[in-house]
Order: sequence, then structure tokens, then C-alpha cells
Amino acid sequence: MTDAPALQMRGIVKAFPGVVALDHVDFDCFAGEVHAICGENGAGKSTLMKILGGSYRPDAGEIRIRDRPMRFTHPVEARAAGISVIHQELSLLPHRSVAENIFMGREPSRRGFLDRQQMRQRTAALLAQLGTSTDPDQRVGTLSIASQQRVEIAKALLFEAQVVVMDEPTAALGERDTQFLLQLVRNLRKDGVAIVYISHRMPEVMAIADRVTVLKDGRKIWTRPQASAEVSAIVTAMVGRDLKDFYPKPPLVEPKESLFSIENGENAQLHGIDLHLRVGEILGVAGLEDSGKTALAQAIIGDVPLKVGSMTLRGKPETILSPRRAVAHGMGYVPADRKGEGLLLRQSVRDNALLSLRAMAACFSRPNRGALAYSKIDDELCSMDVRAADFGQPVGALSGGNQQKTIICRWLAQASDMLVFVEPTRGIDIAAKAAIYETMRRFVDAGRAIIVISSDLPELIGISDRIVVMHRGRIAGELPRGSSEEAVVALSLGLGMRERQDAVV
Amino acid sequence: MSIEARPQAVRFGRPFRFSFAFVLFLISVAIYVCTAVVTGEVNQLSLAGLSGLFQRMVALGLVGLGQTFVILVGSIDLSVAALISVVAVLASFIMHGEPAMIAPAIVACLLVCLVAGCVNGMLVGFGRINPLIATLGTGLVMQGVLSTAFSFMPGSVAPRFEAFAYSSLFGIPYPVCLLVILAIGASRVLSSTPFGARIYSVGGNPEGARMAGIRTERVVLGAHLIASLFAGVAGLFLAARLQSGTPWVGRDGIYDLESIAVTVIGGTILAGGNGGVAGTMAGVLLFASLDASFNMLGVDAFVKQVLRGAIVIAAVAVHAVGNKEHVA
Repeated sequence: MTDAPALQMRGIVKAFPGVVALDHVDFDCFAGEVHAICGENGAGKSTLMKILGGSYRPDAGEIRIRDRPMRFTHPVEARAAGISVIHQELSLLPHRSVAENIFMGREPSRRGFLDRQQMRQRTAALLAQLGTSTDPDQRVGTLSIASQQRVEIAKALLFEAQVVVMDEPTAALGERDTQFLLQLVRNLRKDGVAIVYISHRMPEVMAIADRVTVLKDGRKIWTRPQASAEVSAIVTAMVGRDLKDFYPKPPLVEPKESLFSIENGENAQLHGIDLHLRVGEILGVAGLEDSGKTALAQAIIGDVPLKVGSMTLRGKPETILSPRRAVAHGMGYVPADRKGEGLLLRQSVRDNALLSLRAMAACFSRPNRGALAYSKIDDELCSMDVRAADFGQPVGALSGGNQQKTIICRWLAQASDMLVFVEPTRGIDIAAKAAIYETMRRFVDAGRAIIVISSDLPELIGISDRIVVMHRGRIAGELPRGSSEEAVVALSLGLGMRERQDAVV
Repeated sequence: MSIEARPQAVRFGRPFRFSFAFVLFLISVAIYVCTAVVTGEVNQLSLAGLSGLFQRMVALGLVGLGQTFVILVGSIDLSVAALISVVAVLASFIMHGEPAMIAPAIVACLLVCLVAGCVNGMLVGFGRINPLIATLGTGLVMQGVLSTAFSFMPGSVAPRFEAFAYSSLFGIPYPVCLLVILAIGASRVLSSTPFGARIYSVGGNPEGARMAGIRTERVVLGAHLIASLFAGVAGLFLAARLQSGTPWVGRDGIYDLESIAVTVIGGTILAGGNGGVAGTMAGVLLFASLDASFNMLGVDAFVKQVLRGAIVIAAVAVHAVGNKEHVA
């Protein structure tokens, strides 16, 4: 490998308001090489790839393709330079045929008319090269996800891309299709394509990568040949940060009494879920983006209910098929997407805090009376220390921390005794974070319980009394309070499934 | 195995399925024929009767063809009714009964359509304004200008121009020939040109199309130009048919909403990216044969309107159900 790398990125910097997503990152990839990028959620992998694909412009740094400096202002320019990005979400047209999809935007024509013959033949040839015999005339919407991915890769091949970027290509694939895809990547490598492979599935990375780069918090930690990069070393590098100790103290007495449990829960995204929540504890749920941890939250609060399995609430069997039933049974939901699912941004703080009370109140209950009185909810908001000029102010004008507190107030007013938090402190400053952790702890100490789902591991470890880790829709293991991040990451990467038995028993 | 042999071999084994458009076509024909037979108006099945049926299709058919393009691209055009009125009035105003002015009038009208389509396309494609609002706005502007400028009858079209709407070729009226030719042309453009493929791409997945290097704004603009041109042709036809244009001819015909209805009945989904001309034409035929059947049966005008509405909903519901099965 004496010649210049097919792709070289040097000193890439990209800042978004409030965060430096990439801080002087160097990266290169040679022709005929698979270079894997590993990192936690938010480490900067996707930003780096978006810069490479021309969707973002870097604030500083340069990109070189075969030693020629490049500047991309539009995805089209990146493609023209031979870079093809295969995104997690496929960009296919479900109603059109395979051939039409592959030739999207580059349709061959003869005398102004489409040359369908040529499209069909070249598509068949490309698909044959990928080892499939999908009919070029078949509608893409009728294909499996794995076949659709092959169509997406065929698009890249048609372009004769020199650099193919795959952003978590196996996220939606089963085991067999994953193996097939890995074989395909090997074939591409043989053909001299430079492949940037983003994944946090360690077995795949170890199976396919020639070199591994670890990103963390927007910085490159190291790049090593695969042979000298051990899984444990990669995981440590991905995690390596200090625990901050602004987390509240754990309860003095061991929680015993069961509040809520799921047995053998199952739906499209969840399999064999057994979950027990006890009074007085905060149960953390960890897992990767596609692990089903969000699906678990949606199942508990009845948004996307379980299809199979039984739920028990305070010893009584319950089925929760809608959010309304969940609220009626005293469950509150504090969503990750505060602005989308949590708040009515243009309405007042007070209205937002009263939302569930009003929702559950009888149709003709009088406003501003009894439980719905402004004075009552104002007291609640004050005791929660929601900082607003006036509780009549639109909640959208508040800071993230105060918005989150407003939602918590809503459930306190509702007298919920179980809360489901998803990403409780996303986009919230440090001081407000500590206040929210404090509130969470006070909430459970009063004989209630919380399930918290978070991709922020230090937070999850700091606040949870127990952590269950999910992997591919299943609970991969359970860890006690104070476990290391490495242990959580290992479980969430699907490693150490063997330890599972020990942990559960 | 040679690559050339493969597509044919695979295609051979595919089960034959009637297209949605063809089924709709058969239903329309059945409705018309049955009503004619039941009511004893068998003369409606003669060449003259049928050409009368097809004459009913022309105006809505032309507008529907254009609407198909914009809906496929993921947009919509509510300004067509106003544009039809503008063109009809302008044509009779410029011609003023003089045969020499026929060509200039047609050219002027089509130029106006290009401008209108350009404005719509710019607003939707480049300005990223919601197409409902943008085209509703341009439509209101056109209708307003028209009503202020021509509160009186603006004269009539030239007799030779008028004759176009009423004469026929081998028993087939010229306007019907025009509709058939334009429909075939539109269908060819959509199914077998790169431009057509791009319309489907942009409508199906705008972001994906952009990533594939398609200049989506231009495709949207192109679709709007086509829609306006078709509306213009419909306006010219109506001017010829009615001898003179009135400022309300488009609005009274509800061409904006009905063109959307026939397009959607024909299986073009409102989100864009799926459907085509054949379905729209079948939708127009359904409307025309329903109208003719209601007339033969002597259905009250208001009841007619209610039935039409119900049929629009039913057709779209059938399609939605069919689609769901297909997807899942």
C-alpha cells in the first residue's frame, strides 16, 4: 500500500450549536480495504459520514480522493467523486421496479426514450455480480429488507464507486442476511473498492475489518490494524470516561415489593421480555439504537402494545393497549422527543402540566376547579422549581430542563406511581440534570418506581439501581448497581451472552 | 446462463393481473351499457351516442392529464379552474370572431399558461411553499384579475374555431381525437422517458431523488408547466365548445377538485410516485358514464351530486384497502 489512500480526511472539524461533533478527526481508507469505525451513539460517526457524503460541509479540514483535494457542496458532487453512501434508511422507491430504482436519476435513453432493455440487462448483470437473481422488473416494495439493501448496493456498483460507505448496514438484517452482506463486502473489497464500515456490532467488525478506528465524543481515539485491536480494547476506548458523582444516593433498604412486571412479552420488535420492577427502585434499560429499548418503553405505556405476554401491576394482571389505559393505571411517560411527543409547545406551562389531568377528567368537569385548579398546579410547579416568568407563558419558551420538569409535574399531579423515562436529560444542561436526578430519586423513595431508558451510559449507571441490557429485541442480561460501562457495552454489543445466565440467576 | 435470457425467463412466470385502470374501465363500460339497456335508450350505444359520451370526457380528461403529472411529482394544482377561465375568456377576447386571430389567440393563451405554470412551479419547487396554498393563491389571483377585468362578455370565438369542437373525423369528434392523442403522449412521457422516470422518483422519495442527483425543483417545475398547458388546452376547448368564454367557466365546472378526484380514483396516490395516465383516463370515463347514466335514469341533479361524492370515496377506499394488502 505505497500509493495514496483512496480516501483521506484530514483535520475535519464540525461544530453544531452547542456541541463540537468532530474535533480534528483524521481518517483514511485504502483501495481494497475495509476500515471500520466504532463509537458510541453521538461519538460523531454519522457526522463524519455525512461530511464524506456531501450532506454537511466541514468547518475545517480537507478531503482527498486519490490524493486530489475535494470540496463537496452537494451530495451529487460526492457521488461524482466516486463516493457512495449507503444510509441506514434506504432511499428506494417502493412502487418502482428494481431496474428503475438502480437507474434513478441516471436513466439511459435512446432518442429521448428510456432504454429499458439496457436498464434490465445491466441491472441483471449487477445483481448477478452481487450473487442474487432478483427480477429487475420486480417492485422494490415487495422485496425483503435484505434484498432492498442489495439494490442499494447495486446502485453504488453502477456508479463504479471507489469508496463505499456503509452506515450500520446490518441494523435491520437477520443473522443469515448479515452473513450474506459480509460476504458481499468481501467481494467488493476484492474488486478494489475502499469500504468504510460503520457498525457497533463487534463480531461483524472483527470478522470483516482490516483496520479499526474508534471515535469518542467527536475525537479520534486511535486507529489500529484489526489484528492488534482486541474487542476489549475497542470497548474501553469507546467508553473511557469518568463517572461524575452528582447522582443521588441509592435507597437504604433493598426494594422488595413488586410493582410492575412483564412476562414473556412479545411484539414485532420485542421477544421474550421478562421484566420486574419493584417499589422504590429505578430500573435502567440500556441497549443500542436498534436494540428494542425504545420499543420496550412504547410497549409499557401502550403506544405500541405487546402482542403476547402478560403484564402485572401491583399483583393484578392488566393489559395495557393504549396510552390512555396506561395513564389510568398510574403510569406516566416522559418521552425522549420532548418537543414532539411530550409538550404542546405553544400552550402555557400550566396547560402542559394539566394535560393528563384534563385528559382523564370527565367531559363536563368544570375547569379551574378541584384538581384542575390553577392554584394547585402552580403549587406543584413551584415545588418542582420550574423557572418561568409566569406559568401562563408558552412552554416552548422554557429551557429544556424546565420543560422536562413541567412534564414530570404533569405526572406528579396525576398521582402516577410509575414513570417511564426515555433519555431523561437529553439536551439538558448539567445543573438541571442533577435536579432531575434528584427528583427521580425522591419520586421512587415515596414508594413508587421508575423505568429509565437512556443511551447515556454514565447517567444510566449513575442513577439506576439495576440495569437490564437489551440486544436485538431481547433482554441480554441484567447488571447490579455500580456495574462498569464496559460490562453494559459488552452486553449491548451482543458479547458475553453466556454470562447472561449467571447474571439472571 | 446468459444475462439476456434472464429477464424474459423470469417475466414469463409472473401471474397475470388486471391493472386497476383496466378494472375501472370495465366497470365504467358496464355501468353505461347496463343503464342504456335497462332504460331502453339503446341509441346511446350507437356511434353518435358514444361520441356524445366521449365529448363529455374531453375537458375533464385534459385537466386530469395535467393534474396526474403534478400529483405524481408529489404536488397538486388547485389553480387549474381559474386558469381555464382565463384562457377561455382570453381566447374569445383576442379572436373576437375573426378567423385570422385564431393562431395568435392560441399562442397567447398557451403563453399565459406557461407563465402560470412557471409561477406555480417556482413557488412549489424553488420556494418550497405547500402546493395546496401556493396554487390556491395563484388561482385566487387569476380569478380575481379576471373578474375585475372582464365583468362583461368579452366577445366570441371565431366560427372556424368553434367548428373544431363540433366536427369530427370518421365519426370521431376532433376533441376526442385530441384527448386520445394527448393521453397517449402523456402516457409515453411518463412511462418511457427519463423525465417521466424522474417525476416518479421525485414524487416517491424527494430526498432520495435529490441524493441520486436529480434536480428535484426542476422536475416539479416541469410537472407544473405541463399541468398548466393541459388546463390551457381544456380552456381553449371549452371556449370553442361554448362559443365564448365566461369568467366562471372553470369554477362552475369544478375542474380543480374533479380533476384531482379522477386522478386519485385512477389509482394515483396523492403522496406522489405511484399511478399513471391510464388510471386517470379510466376515472374520467367513470365520471362521464355515471353522468350519462344518471341522465338516462333521470336522477335529480342534487342526488346526482351526492352519488358522485359517494362513488369518489368508495373508489378511493377500494384502492386503499387493495394497497394495504399489497404492502403488508
